[in-house]
Amino acid sequence: MSRDKSLVVDGVRQFFGPKNSRVQALSRTDLVIEPGQFVCLAGPSGCGKTTLLRLIAGFINPSEGQITVSGSEIIGPGPDRGVVFQSPTLYPWMDVASNVELGLKFQGVSKDQRRADSERYLQMVGLTDFAHRRTYELSGGMQQRCQIARVLASDPEFILMDEPFGALDALTRERLQNELLDIWRKTGKTILFITHSVDEAVFLGSRVLVMSPRPGKIVFDEPAIFSKPGESIAAEEIRSLPAFLELRERVRSSIQHSH
Amino acid sequence: MVIPLDGLEYHPSGGPDDRHGGPAVVAKSAPLWVRVRKNHWTTRLIALAAFLVVWWILTTPWAWNGDKPIMLPLYLPSIPSVWNAFIRANTIHPIAEGVDREVVGEYGYYLWQHLLATLQRIGIGLFFAIVIGLPLGLLMASVKIISVSVEPYINFLRSLPPLGYIGLLIVWFGIDNTSKIWLLFLAAFPPITIATIAGVSGIKEDQIHAAQSLGASRLQVVSSVTVPAIAPDLITGIRVALGFAWTTVVAAELNNGIPGIGGLAYLSGTELKTPLTITCIIVIGITAIVLDSIIKAMERVLTPWRGKA
Repeated sequence: MSRDKSLVVDGVRQFFGPKNSRVQALSRTDLVIEPGQFVCLAGPSGCGKTTLLRLIAGFINPSEGQITVSGSEIIGPGPDRGVVFQSPTLYPWMDVASNVELGLKFQGVSKDQRRADSERYLQMVGLTDFAHRRTYELSGGMQQRCQIARVLASDPEFILMDEPFGALDALTRERLQNELLDIWRKTGKTILFITHSVDEAVFLGSRVLVMSPRPGKIVFDEPAIFSKPGESIAAEEIRSLPAFLELRERVRSSIQHSH
Repeated sequence: MVIPLDGLEYHPSGGPDDRHGGPAVVAKSAPLWVRVRKNHWTTRLIALAAFLVVWWILTTPWAWNGDKPIMLPLYLPSIPSVWNAFIRANTIHPIAEGVDREVVGEYGYYLWQHLLATLQRIGIGLFFAIVIGLPLGLLMASVKIISVSVEPYINFLRSLPPLGYIGLLIVWFGIDNTSKIWLLFLAAFPPITIATIAGVSGIKEDQIHAAQSLGASRLQVVSSVTVPAIAPDLITGIRVALGFAWTTVVAAELNNGIPGIGGLAYLSGTELKTPLTITCIIVIGITAIVLDSIIKAMERVLTPWRGKA
């Protein structure tokens, strides 16, 4: 893989709080995310996963070190890094379609083109019939799908997802996992997916990272079941593969040992 | 959704407990006490009737009281005399009984012209309150230095009774409309500024982040996120501001306030025309309720997501 389109976290450390009583949220972290990878970052809550995601998104600046995309340093949020938040940040003053079109509108894409794009992505996430509903009329799972469509429509190179399915019931969660995997196979987007579920991380990721808490440190980094977007196996099959079970066990024990 | 239930109708949401006294539907055949319990409008009508009966009892001449009413007309005029004052104020009528010269309404204007003059002043004052108060609130919410230095003055201004500084405004801006509009503006803009600040501080950080990650420029964040996000608070602020402006209307029209419903209320009071004063009070009160209902309706139409997201 060419390194020029990679996302590079280079010697980043993060502290919070006032100088005299500052808390280290992230110990020195080095990480390279190659184009097309589906990177799942697992770890207990409060371990600094979200901090790392927000650093990459550009919502906060690193206390030390730097993060670069295609060689240029990240200094703030940008449309090259789409973010799917844990709780949906849809705008209730717009209907579902307008929410999905928003990124394109910011980029100055014409109205007709926007409509066409939003229709395509709404179809991809199964929300075609809800295009003209208000966002608060959607269920939690639908809101997350809408958020995913909104990010996909603005065509970022990286999609950063912060426990997007954490608040959903098991069935919805499983369905959305399959849909997300489908989307990744179709689009080949680079994804950083944060979760506290070991199963979810191993099932979705092409690469699994584990972070240990206080201060956050990446303690596990291995390729997972799929290494390329093209490969396709049915969901039930994946979960019964020996490789899946074996990796899940090792990820689990690495999280337990890191405590 | 309305579920029929023993002749009555049951409302799973809103309905009888709707604080706006909403369209609760109760069977006509239901006993009165059930209707009172279920329908705020029935309750309100009964309360109004009771009020009018008490008024009538207090102002009707009684034989046992020496053919005099319990309260003298100077203090509490009878219902018909207030009605007459209302009619007089809306018609061309003789200046006094048995005099040929006819005059228009009261002090040369019909009652609706007095009301309209006041509404215009309030409209202009409120317009400037929004035009100044909204950007000021946005500035104060985003620039610390401005908020720290301006906030004490807004709180200072807010605590002043308008009667205290109307004299000063007259000295500065003359006795005509300008000083009155200034007073109404000064009463109306602090609530709008404060509501704007509250609105901005209530915006979820991630809603801003989401827009930035979708490629929004600074200006696009303001127009697509900040402004719509504060709309519910802003409308509440305008509602409060309008209420403040109404309560200062008599102070504004104390001097040279004709035409003006507040000026008319004050002037008729000083001339002991009690029925006319009461007419003005009723008109001022009803207009305030109507204006408030209009803003509440706008709130429902313009910000339907309020309280839902």
